[in-house]
Amino acid sequence: MPETHRVIYSAFRMAMLHWMADPQWVIPNIIAPFVFTFVALTLFAGADGSFGLYAVLGGGMMGMWGNTLYASGFAIDFERWQGTLEEVVAAPSNLLHVITGRSVSNALFGLTNMVAILLIAVFVFRVPLGLANPVLFAFSLVLTLLSVSALGLIFASSFVLTRSAQIFTNGLEFPIYVISGSMFPIALLPFWTYPASFILGPTWGIQAIRAAATSADVPLAFWSDIGIMLAITVAYVIVAALLFKLVETKSRRDGTLVQA
Amino acid sequence: MRRKKTQVTAVKDVSFEVDYGELFGLVGPNGAGKTTTIKMLTTMLIPTSGVAKVLGYDVKKDVTKVRQNIGIVLGGERGLYTRVNAIDNLRYFADLYGVPVSVRDKRIKELLQFMGLWDRAKDRVETYSKGMKQRLHLARGLINDPQLIFLDEPTTGLDPEIAKETRNMIRELIEKGKTILLTTHYMFEADELCKRVGIIRNGEVVALDTPSGLKKYVMDTSVVEVQGFGITENEVAKFKGIPDVLAVSADLNEDKQVLKIQTTKGSEIISEVQQILKNSRIYDLNIKEPTLEDAYLRLIEGSRK
Amino acid sequence: MKLVLTLSQMSFFVFVGEYAHLNVAYIAIGNAIQTMSWNTVFSVINITGQDKWGGTLPLLLATPAPRLPVFVGRAMIHIFDGMLSVAISFAFATLLFGVNLGNANVLALVIVVFLTAFTMSGFGLLIGGFSFHFRNPMVFANIFTFILLIFCGVNFPVSSLPQVLQPISYIFPLTYGINAGRLTISGATLTDVSLQLGQMLIVGFIAMFVGYALFRLFENMARKTGRLEAE
Repeated sequence: MPETHRVIYSAFRMAMLHWMADPQWVIPNIIAPFVFTFVALTLFAGADGSFGLYAVLGGGMMGMWGNTLYASGFAIDFERWQGTLEEVVAAPSNLLHVITGRSVSNALFGLTNMVAILLIAVFVFRVPLGLANPVLFAFSLVLTLLSVSALGLIFASSFVLTRSAQIFTNGLEFPIYVISGSMFPIALLPFWTYPASFILGPTWGIQAIRAAATSADVPLAFWSDIGIMLAITVAYVIVAALLFKLVETKSRRDGTLVQA
Repeated sequence: MRRKKTQVTAVKDVSFEVDYGELFGLVGPNGAGKTTTIKMLTTMLIPTSGVAKVLGYDVKKDVTKVRQNIGIVLGGERGLYTRVNAIDNLRYFADLYGVPVSVRDKRIKELLQFMGLWDRAKDRVETYSKGMKQRLHLARGLINDPQLIFLDEPTTGLDPEIAKETRNMIRELIEKGKTILLTTHYMFEADELCKRVGIIRNGEVVALDTPSGLKKYVMDTSVVEVQGFGITENEVAKFKGIPDVLAVSADLNEDKQVLKIQTTKGSEIISEVQQILKNSRIYDLNIKEPTLEDAYLRLIEGSRK
Repeated sequence: MKLVLTLSQMSFFVFVGEYAHLNVAYIAIGNAIQTMSWNTVFSVINITGQDKWGGTLPLLLATPAPRLPVFVGRAMIHIFDGMLSVAISFAFATLLFGVNLGNANVLALVIVVFLTAFTMSGFGLLIGGFSFHFRNPMVFANIFTFILLIFCGVNFPVSSLPQVLQPISYIFPLTYGINAGRLTISGATLTDVSLQLGQMLIVGFIAMFVGYALFRLFENMARKTGRLEAE
């Protein structure tokens, strides 16, 4: 039996090799968040420093998001297009682990995206970027990243089923930027959207990240936010594992592993 | 086994057994269900009904065990990561198959050398010729040193030189003690390589035997080969109507037409041939021993009626 | 699907604006007009992409049909599509985000939108001309559609940008279009905005001309080097 960590690492490595072969494909993923952040920063320009931080963190968040969502679907679609999806499914490794490896690489790009946005903000917009509690900031950032990746896995599973899933996830990108309260408090949104916001792990993650960035003594809410996000993330992983099994079986039954 | 795919039943009823160390061939025309059968046996497709056991493991219930112990070579232009090189391709699959790290890199090198790809191992697969890609497919199918290997039309589309080498490689694998299930639409290939052959058409196995066994099936017949000029479709049809004529194949080109008539009549048929073709010119006419191809033809046509 | 995209983009900026205590109507209007860029610039750039990847480009270019009319013909569909998107977006804007069209000179607005869509399609031709040469027009399409959000006075006036960047705004026909659009909503007539429209048309035609020239140039190059199909 192939070991899980080896499969994940190998998939990660393969994703990296492909990125190095075609680096320009990263651009579409990061353009939207970058532009949105730029606009937000300009709109916030009149206000004080903490707005700037808000925008930057939100932008970084969107950068992570955009990349994950787009790439999770692309992971499966790519295999289909290359004609390797069947061979990969036919291998004894668990398809979930293979896609996880890819998701991790996407998360990494998301992170670099965030760093890029941060740099632009600091150097172009002169946003003061004092991180009040760097350790907890990094901590909440990494956890949020994992949460986003886990959600990406759920979306990836839909792609094993059909290629039309692409349209669906493309359409989700912007709404999620809005609903997760990345760039403004969700309090501004109409109340009936709140349930959607609450099941998104990143919504909680962003609150925690902001808290760690603005005050060295994080409020208690920080820990409850982290806790809720962790619980949601675990739920995501379980759902993803189930979905992958279901979806793979269905595809093998219907013969949809091959590009139609 | 049976498999229904949306509205088309690709495989209606296929049953056979393959022994350890055997090279078994599945032969049939395009669309007969060969690839679908292989995909079911290799867990890429789930059979709608029926049971299949590979190396003792059920393909529906013990999926991982089956996958762990077989090699699959579907071949073709797809199925490889073209933007990376051969070594990375093999390494990836080695990891997916759980090949022990201690032997992995050594095995990759050995396989690539065996396939004659070692000097291009670091080039991107997109730069490979068709033959090279096929060999890489083969290497990939062997990466986990499987006991049982499935080869789907391994020589289709290859230059004759390369096809010949591929067949030699297949023979070498059998000598090493592997078991192979091969599909092909080249009869001579099946004749040359396989211990037993199953002929499949329209999703059903119409015959199953050793090559000589299958030839015996047509042993009571002779094949009259006619080369001529001016032979028409109508005339060919007339042959089919004659009793004791089992099958007729016609290759009608502009400048030359070749008819092969399988019949139990033997040389008695010659006068009928001359009668039917009296308006055409006959260059050559001879009577031959039936080959496996003739047996195949007979069986295929037979199942059509 | 495009509807969801449009609405969420607008919501996003509107809420950001709200958070920053700005005038959201301004933002909503800008976004409503910018919506068309998906149908125009984005789609036009991808026309060549699709053809190239679909393998139909060699066939298309093999015909003796004059190039410009063919592409312009296809662009017309996009223009009307774009206008439809803008109309729907304005519906959202008035219903949800408090945009008041009461004083608007609707006829003038429609004409402004039409001309903007037209010139933006032409602009797409220019960028499409560039991307024809490269493997992935998608990347260009993405960049040039999103970048409009920064430069064209969609969410904030051009004057809010750093001095150095401002001149760039005037390359895009959309900048003039949005400007004129805002004026007509406040009641301006066609004559009032004629300067804007004139400038926009000039920019648009230059873009189309250069775009066309680039197409022919790259087409000849591609014929010589055999790159008409996707590698």
